[in-house]
Amino acid sequence: MKKGFYRTLAWSGIQKNRKLYLPYLLTCMGTIMMCYIISFLGTSSTFGSIPGGDTMQSFLELGFDVMAVFSSIFLFYTNSFLIRRRKKEFGLYNILGLGKKHLAVVLLLETFIVAGITLVGGLFFGILFSKLAELCLVKILAGTATFAFSVEPSSILHTVVLFAVIFALIFLNTLFQIQLTNPIQLLHSEHAGEKPPKANWFIAILGTLILAAAYYLAVEIQDPVAAIMVFFVAVVMVVIATYLLFIAGSVTLCRLLQKNKRYYYKTEHFVSVSSMVYRMKRNGAGLASICILCTMVLVMLSSTTCLYIGAEDSLRNRYPRNISLDATVSSTELLEGEQVKQTQDIIESVVQENGTEQQNILLYQTAAFGAAITGNQVRFDNQTYEEAIEAMADIWQVFVVPISDYNRLMNKQETLSTGEVILYTTKEVPYTQDTIQIGNSEPLKVKKQAEDFVDNGVDSMQIFPTMYLFVNDIDEITAPLSEYTMGNRDESLVSFHWYYGFDLPCDDDTQIRIQQQLTEKTQQLKEKTGEDSYFHIVIEGVAKERADFYGIYAGLFFLGIFLGIVFVFAAVLIIYYKQISEGYEDQSRFDIMRKVGMTKQEIRKSINSQILVVFFLPLVTAGMHLAFAFPLIRKLLMIFGVTNMSLLITTTVCCYAIFAIFYLLVYRTTSRSYYAIVSGMKDEQE
Amino acid sequence: MSILQVDAVKKIYITRFGGNQVQALSNVSFEVQEGEYVAIMGESGSGKTTLLNILAALDRPTAGSVRLDGQELSKIKESSLASFRREHLGFVFQDFNLLDTFSLKDNIYLPLVLSGKSPAEMQKRLAPIAKQLGITHLLDKYPYEVSGGQKQRAAVARALVIHPRLILADEPTGALDSKATDELLGLFGEINRSGQTILMVTHSVKAASHASRVLFIKDGEVYHQIYRGNSTENELYQKISDTLTMLATGGEQR
Repeated sequence: MKKGFYRTLAWSGIQKNRKLYLPYLLTCMGTIMMCYIISFLGTSSTFGSIPGGDTMQSFLELGFDVMAVFSSIFLFYTNSFLIRRRKKEFGLYNILGLGKKHLAVVLLLETFIVAGITLVGGLFFGILFSKLAELCLVKILAGTATFAFSVEPSSILHTVVLFAVIFALIFLNTLFQIQLTNPIQLLHSEHAGEKPPKANWFIAILGTLILAAAYYLAVEIQDPVAAIMVFFVAVVMVVIATYLLFIAGSVTLCRLLQKNKRYYYKTEHFVSVSSMVYRMKRNGAGLASICILCTMVLVMLSSTTCLYIGAEDSLRNRYPRNISLDATVSSTELLEGEQVKQTQDIIESVVQENGTEQQNILLYQTAAFGAAITGNQVRFDNQTYEEAIEAMADIWQVFVVPISDYNRLMNKQETLSTGEVILYTTKEVPYTQDTIQIGNSEPLKVKKQAEDFVDNGVDSMQIFPTMYLFVNDIDEITAPLSEYTMGNRDESLVSFHWYYGFDLPCDDDTQIRIQQQLTEKTQQLKEKTGEDSYFHIVIEGVAKERADFYGIYAGLFFLGIFLGIVFVFAAVLIIYYKQISEGYEDQSRFDIMRKVGMTKQEIRKSINSQILVVFFLPLVTAGMHLAFAFPLIRKLLMIFGVTNMSLLITTTVCCYAIFAIFYLLVYRTTSRSYYAIVSGMKDEQE
Repeated sequence: MSILQVDAVKKIYITRFGGNQVQALSNVSFEVQEGEYVAIMGESGSGKTTLLNILAALDRPTAGSVRLDGQELSKIKESSLASFRREHLGFVFQDFNLLDTFSLKDNIYLPLVLSGKSPAEMQKRLAPIAKQLGITHLLDKYPYEVSGGQKQRAAVARALVIHPRLILADEPTGALDSKATDELLGLFGEINRSGQTILMVTHSVKAASHASRVLFIKDGEVYHQIYRGNSTENELYQKISDTLTMLATGGEQR
């Protein structure tokens, strides 16, 4: 009998607060669903068996951990809104004679109901959509999948345990909250007088300055290596500045507007501005968090999307031809030697045996070395580790290429006189000097800067920029460098390369077979020539690497979208809850305004403008952050081999647009419920 | 000259569930002359608040008419009702109804801002009223910083600053201590002597004894009325008390 009474209380407690509980239940269900899906994908053996799937599963396991942490924080946060709204109800129960012990029983039952509904619902939808997610993943990995439906018991277990713990913690927290307050406080917890917030000029200006400095850093950055280091500094600065500005800057701005009598004493501004002061004081930190969350989501989404869409491009950058051979030799004579000719013969015969042909042949010689370049001086001195870190931004990969190869590959007729070079740099790092001095040799005159050169796998693998020097004679440049060694090792600094790449008009399997045969035969060749001359061939084939490559990029892409969706839902729900709970507080305020003679239209307008600001301030600020972060992101993506500028702009803009549309929908729903709450019962008579 | 004419006003509420009809006002008629200070008295549930809401055009009567300055309230369009209200009627409420996000000054300015007055004009109107009510030094304070009596004086200032034809006061002393009540009633009298028409709904015999005429409402009808005539406040107080006793014990005098 008594049990039934508690059950009724618990059940009606949830039902009567439908407006608050429904979003909460949906949120719980959504997070449970997402957790199950990500755990399912991370452990599913069918998924792990497709090419690239295992690479991706390691990302997904990381994703589950992120989800776990995030879910607990998020559910705690949303639940705290619920408790705050319901304190009055608890207070009433308390006064009517329900002890705190009894309240605890009611709350426990409520927790069971909520946990039951959401776990069953969440897992149901999770299992339902897990297949869909799996198919999507397989699709972006460009593999094939069966349509067999499977359920992963271990994932269900993981999810249930995780959320059981979260719900238990939330329950304990609620109990703790109620224990702390006495009934009278519980009854009146909603109406505590609030001091008008003061404008804090110092913090507002500080925030502005930090933000400006961070933006300047981001825009000014030139080379990708520095971009990595600056990125983290800039992010921290922007985060700090956002908090300062949202908390203090917004209040200061409102105060400033209030000082301007002509602006302030207008119907459109009067109520809105004075309410905004309080609203921003209460919500500043929350809105700043949302703004930062939005920015992160947008950066994550646009860069992972860009990486994924640009994967084929960066694959081509990394592996300029379907199959490429890089023969490292010990001297320039070998570049024209017997082994080179024999290797070419082997390639031709292997390709013919497999019934296909070489296309798009890329052949050139280089002398390669790494160096630090300051001013026009190319240095090779052995540095300590600390110095090396400091000089990071000065480090270059240098390739010396015969001008004849350049002319042939680029279809040019450049001639050089002695002491002249043509220069080309990658990763958009400019070289502005007129001359270049390598080691202690005579400075070389830079005749001109080339506009382009062929892609090079080494360049796309490294974060350092590459400098190509096109010269008449490689030997002339490198001879004086023979004394230098690489770091403390015994290898010579300069290595000579014979580079040979070609495309194949056949499917991936044949390409992989050809690559295998070539590796075997060149190995035999090397054994035949013996050890007297150094001749070392590395063969790379794009077909063999593609699956792993996509495994990484698609994994990042999927995770980006997945976490993006979750974060956005979280951000938007937080705003929804904020507005709804403020709606109840504003109810009496707007009732007064109506009595004093404000029309419904005026009230509606004022509400709209306030919610508009609260909603879109984070979004607009996030957009601004994103715009200023753009040059940095571009530089960072360049390291990943994505050089397609328009692709990045398109994906960024698209991500922002989709985000904004979604946001707009929630805004409309929220402002409608907010208005319904604020206008209250009074309207129903008319 | 008559400012307010209430003619056979009837109000029936239909409860939301079950559709039961509740008659709040059955037949109320009276007039208020320019410069009068009228108090309406009645017990809880007698229909006082309903009547005031109808006079304030916050609610419409089921039958009958209310005229303010000869203008029929129910004929005013919904869209212009709010502006009519804030240009012709000043309100003083029991719980002050001051906005806690505004300073007292901004609270008083609120109706003026809504009517689109310039800052200079607002300043000009406020200065003498604030002085009369003795709140000049409090204008930049916030409601939570001042006492109940001071809050109510700010609310009176908000009602006066629009130069209303009629001030409607709903239990203005209900939330005040006796000292603040005396002060406020003194102010009401002062304002009335300077020509302002006041209609006050109250429970308190003391508040009513300051009025020039007292109407008694019982069961949704005007049951009785007393004119001050030449009586002092104390005499009027006595008369009101007697009438209330009679009303409560069910006397048949009319």
